[in-house]
Amino acid sequence: MFSHEMKEKIKQFAKEQAPYYLEEAEMTYMEKLRRRTGETKSKLMAKLAKFKSRSETAMEAENDMVLYMSDYMKDLMEQGLSEQEAFERAKEELKFRSETTKSADLQERIVAHYHHMDIADYEAVGLFYGAFVFLGISIGALIGFIGSGGWEMFLSGGWIRTLIGAIIGFLIGTGLGLLSNAIIVLKRKK
Amino acid sequence: MDNLSEMLKGILEGIVLEIISRGEIYGYEITKKLHALGFQGIAEATVYALLLRLEKNKLVHITKKPSDMGPPRKFYTLNERGFEELAAFWAKWDFLSERIHLLRTNGGENNV
Repeated sequence: MFSHEMKEKIKQFAKEQAPYYLEEAEMTYMEKLRRRTGETKSKLMAKLAKFKSRSETAMEAENDMVLYMSDYMKDLMEQGLSEQEAFERAKEELKFRSETTKSADLQERIVAHYHHMDIADYEAVGLFYGAFVFLGISIGALIGFIGSGGWEMFLSGGWIRTLIGAIIGFLIGTGLGLLSNAIIVLKRKK
Repeated sequence: MDNLSEMLKGILEGIVLEIISRGEIYGYEITKKLHALGFQGIAEATVYALLLRLEKNKLVHITKKPSDMGPPRKFYTLNERGFEELAAFWAKWDFLSERIHLLRTNGGENNV
């Protein structure tokens, strides 16, 4: 009934969209468990993954969508739509719209973020930035100042080297601040 | 009738369970039945999503049969748990419709 190209398009669409529907369907079951146990969805999903193969379920959901979409398209074509028009309409109708799953995931990530957040980490990051930037500027400016010939040369062009040294020092300080931030983030992740 | 989707949200599962209880049926056939019943406003995606939920909640028995599109087609029938869920749905529906009827006829007076 459908061209080979169209069959591929349908399969591709199902591959993209079916996981969203499957996830939402699993949410119903997961929500019940979550309410009962008080655990987060990610923890429950991880537990569930140990006991069953999700790939098989996902494949089935994809196949179901391929057939469902094909039936719908055939119905539309019987009503006079072309193959392409029927595909566009079916695509629009079957595109996953619910924000429930996505917003739940976002909420979960926010909860996890604040759950693991330690105010001392943020304070340390700020202090590292400040310290490295001050040190960088000071050392850079000092090297530039001395390197250009000290006070005698400062007003007759030496100030440019002092300025360049300060700028380079600022950049190095910021870089070290970023490094310290990365180290703290990695440590917290463990 | 238009704009039924909000009201149907809570009862669509019961309606679909009733349709499945009448005999073996596949996904899009359910959508067509719903349309034939006058529920034109129900989005095609809603039925697909609902069938996944019914399967996930183990309310249906599934038989796979070959299809011309390649993957096997799933045919749904209700299992014991599905029939129990359907009975619970109709019990709730009877209660609700009776209360609504009372409310509509005499404002719910003397029937609380």
